[in-house]
Amino acid sequence: MKRRNSTMSRVFTALVFLFLYAPIVLLIIFSFNKGNSNTVWTGFSLDWYKSLFHNRIIMRSVYTTLLVSLLATVIATFAGTFAAIGFYSLRRRHRAVLNTVNSIPMMNADIVTGVAMCLFFVAFFSLWGGFAVWFNSVQHIVTLPTRLTLGFGTLLIAHVTFNIPYVILSVGPKLRQMDKNLVDAAQDLGCTWMQAFWKVILPEIKPGITSGALTAFTMSVDDFIISYFTAGSASSTLAMTIYGMTKKRVTPEINAISTLLFVTVLALLVVVNLREAQLERTGRQETRRPRSQRLILFFDSPRGKLFRRGTAGALAAAFLVVVVFLTSATNAQPTVNVCSWGEYIDEDLITQFEEETGIMVNYQTADSNETLYSLLKNGGADYDVIVPSDYMISQLIEEDMLEELDYSQIPNYALISDRFKGLTYDPEERYTVPYAWGTVGIIYNTTMVEEPITSWSAMFDGQYAGNVLMFRNSRDAMATALLYLGYSVNTTDEAELREAFQLLKDAKNRGVYQSFVMDEIFQKLEGGNAAVGAYYAGDYLTMLENNEDLAFVVPEEGSNWFMDAMCVLKGAPHFDEAMAWINFIASTEANLKNMDYLWYASPNQEALEQYPAYYEELYEEELDQETYGIIAASQEVLDRCEAYLVLPANIRTLYNDLWTELGI
Amino acid sequence: MSKELIRLRNICMAFDDEPVLNNINLYINDKEFLTLLGPSGCGKTTTLRMIGGFATPTSGDVLFDGVRINDVPPHQRQINTVFQKYALFPHLNVFENIAFGLRMQRRPDPAAPGKKVKIPEEEIRERVLEMLEIISLKGFEHRRPDALSGGQQQRVAIARALVNRPKVLLLDEPLGALDLKLRKDMQIELKRIQQQVGITFIYVTHDQEEALTMSDTIVVMDRGSIQQIGTPEDIYNEPKNAFVADFIGESNIIDGVMIQDHLVQMYGRQFPCLDGGFEPNEPVDVVIRPEDIDIVPVEQGQLTGTVTSVTFKGMQYDIIVDFKGFKWLIQTTDHSPEGARIGIKIDPDGIHVMKKSQYSGMFGDYSSFSDEYDELDDASLALDEEESGDEE
Repeated sequence: MKRRNSTMSRVFTALVFLFLYAPIVLLIIFSFNKGNSNTVWTGFSLDWYKSLFHNRIIMRSVYTTLLVSLLATVIATFAGTFAAIGFYSLRRRHRAVLNTVNSIPMMNADIVTGVAMCLFFVAFFSLWGGFAVWFNSVQHIVTLPTRLTLGFGTLLIAHVTFNIPYVILSVGPKLRQMDKNLVDAAQDLGCTWMQAFWKVILPEIKPGITSGALTAFTMSVDDFIISYFTAGSASSTLAMTIYGMTKKRVTPEINAISTLLFVTVLALLVVVNLREAQLERTGRQETRRPRSQRLILFFDSPRGKLFRRGTAGALAAAFLVVVVFLTSATNAQPTVNVCSWGEYIDEDLITQFEEETGIMVNYQTADSNETLYSLLKNGGADYDVIVPSDYMISQLIEEDMLEELDYSQIPNYALISDRFKGLTYDPEERYTVPYAWGTVGIIYNTTMVEEPITSWSAMFDGQYAGNVLMFRNSRDAMATALLYLGYSVNTTDEAELREAFQLLKDAKNRGVYQSFVMDEIFQKLEGGNAAVGAYYAGDYLTMLENNEDLAFVVPEEGSNWFMDAMCVLKGAPHFDEAMAWINFIASTEANLKNMDYLWYASPNQEALEQYPAYYEELYEEELDQETYGIIAASQEVLDRCEAYLVLPANIRTLYNDLWTELGI
Repeated sequence: MSKELIRLRNICMAFDDEPVLNNINLYINDKEFLTLLGPSGCGKTTTLRMIGGFATPTSGDVLFDGVRINDVPPHQRQINTVFQKYALFPHLNVFENIAFGLRMQRRPDPAAPGKKVKIPEEEIRERVLEMLEIISLKGFEHRRPDALSGGQQQRVAIARALVNRPKVLLLDEPLGALDLKLRKDMQIELKRIQQQVGITFIYVTHDQEEALTMSDTIVVMDRGSIQQIGTPEDIYNEPKNAFVADFIGESNIIDGVMIQDHLVQMYGRQFPCLDGGFEPNEPVDVVIRPEDIDIVPVEQGQLTGTVTSVTFKGMQYDIIVDFKGFKWLIQTTDHSPEGARIGIKIDPDGIHVMKKSQYSGMFGDYSSFSDEYDELDDASLALDEEESGDEE
């Protein structure tokens, strides 16, 4: 009986470790995979690491992460150490209370800390804005900035804030272990308090400070949630970038960067633990260390002192150089802050633009129009250029959030096809330059359906129950139902909307939908885990590269076509740079590159016409007419499609209410 | 004794409105070995810290060589301290620990007046080695403090303070952490060092035996007030009140009435004594030391009582005798069995009469006497010390 027990417990332990580490091991292994699959091993290669180091968004976020972590660690270590000394000199009762207060932020849910800080910063900024305007009006010597936004500064403050408790926690015990008469003794022997601090307290608590600093650094590198809420638009840490990248699918590139992050944090943890173990050992065996004894002798000697000071100086200088380098890398040049969708630009274009103009592009991504809207509304974003979709543009114009463009600085606007100028969202051509357009349709796996799909009915009738993927956003999901019922996607008739909703709800209750998804659809359809799903044409072509069995159709009932266009936010800090960027992206050359990368159609007439030839030259094969038809739908198809218009406020509320009732 | 070096004048002190010291007046002579003696919480450590500059009086003056030094920080006083548990710097070796004070010192440059210079390395080395010699720890320069025994650490702590050639050395319960044997050796060692370097020692302890052994002058303190100042002999033989009598050595303290000069009444009987100067029929406390009592046959005794317990102590027996419900401690070389009726006789010079004080009736009854009690008391005292020290 006993024996069996021990076998069982061993098996159990093995299982625990398997569950803990198997995913990480798998991730590490596949970061060295030659192909881009996460399931099939096609050979060893370091390609993904190489492409990692050429990925500017990742490298930029590595810079940001290192810079913010280093600075936050230094500041938090400094502040935390003195705070710990302050705590220590308090009476015991007060100290106990403060220690509890100190540990609350560590226990607190990160998301609460993150949201709270975000709210705090935004509230402070609005107060500051009022103060700065008043201050600037009463005097003209100093001009205070009136518009502050979330960014590197707030990110740094947040990191410092959540790091301090860890430093206090690791310095505090060292102080309590210290003989409390040591400071008195040093002062008694001729030190001022400050000298006593340097000569006696610091050497005593140094192990605590070091491990506190290492913990703080690890926490900073590791943090995602708090950064996510406080970094605003202009800065993105590595963890945030990885999160953004996983939206579409987990590429081996993410495996590679995750592996590096894992190894870095692991190395730091090992260093922290080794240090602690070593300190414990040396504490006990001080007398039996002849070699290190000699080293200590050397360090104690005057010559050693010089050496010691030299080392400290060199380290400090090195740190300064790193900080200056990192700061200048992120700050010095003229910049433009761009926010777009994930994988929605050929990154070579960014490099090319930077080289041509010397303007740094700070490129960030949002995951939907609605997310972008709430980011802007919260006042947390300081983007210059955004690329929302048609109906969102109408809403932003309606709410006076966009700046009128200076078309004299955008000569390439002339290249935009007249078909895409003056559309309903910007009839007077004041705010926008089109970026890309496409259609919505049904993507299906030909091996999993009986006959080609032609109608939206496939999304509702239950023939493929359990294998259907529906949009996880109210506008697109409702649109599919409205189209199926033969109504306009912009209807404001409540009865029609309720009918469409009922259709959607019944289908959901009958188990038609496997799930409601956005970019997760890539993995599901590519992996053959679902048969049918509604999504965007350009994305279908990307999926087709990974699964040849997929097909796309714009259903006979018609569909939605959409336009994403570049706009500039009201009060954008880098207006001229924004104009330069928009003009650059509107060029035929940029449009060709983007079209090739995105598989979304260009609004640039020349690019549309030249693309088949461009493709042929690039890949030395002819562009499939059918494929081209999917990228850039013909006018005949477009005529069947309808663009979204901004809905009146009461209908938007109805959408929200219905969506909530659906209970996704 | 030579001239006065330190004077505390009308010192009062409070932590958070809680009085710690009440109107302390005290002078300390040059080259004197003075001990502040008292139970934990009596204010002796606070007094010491005030002299060292680690505490500031709420009112009153601290004078050094006639100069007020209330606001002079510790590092500018010509005073050094040996702390409880030594407070050696763990990250420095013995040599550097002792050299610490010298390395901090700056003195006028003989070559360039007005400028201050460090002490040259050579001189530091010389003086540290000289100190190591005095404390008999030559060859231990490169040891770390945690590689030394308690007694050795103790001596390093003393050397670290003395190397600065202070005018006064403060010692805060320096022997508290040592075992009994080592303590006795160190008491003698400390006295020797004091005589060798010839400076003032101010010593804090709650151990009356230590105080009696080493001091030129003992200051007995309780509840933030000085109870008595005097030589060890004075304090022992002429305690001022019941507290001092009880704290220094063992005492039977009995309620009495001073009939007239040289005649005191206890238990309704009159005893001749040497004290005088009281009002006629003034109620008094009478102290009788356990060793001043002779056991005599019942019929010859001035008082008679019953032996209730006998403890063999090596040199003598401690016996507890019940006199009409009040229990006395008597130390005698003669054995009297438990339950025996005995008589006692006290010579006039064995009777010491004191005025009534706030301590009357609190001490001097051995009803609850036991060795265990004594030890428990000590342990709780030591604990209290830690507590109060931390709070300060």
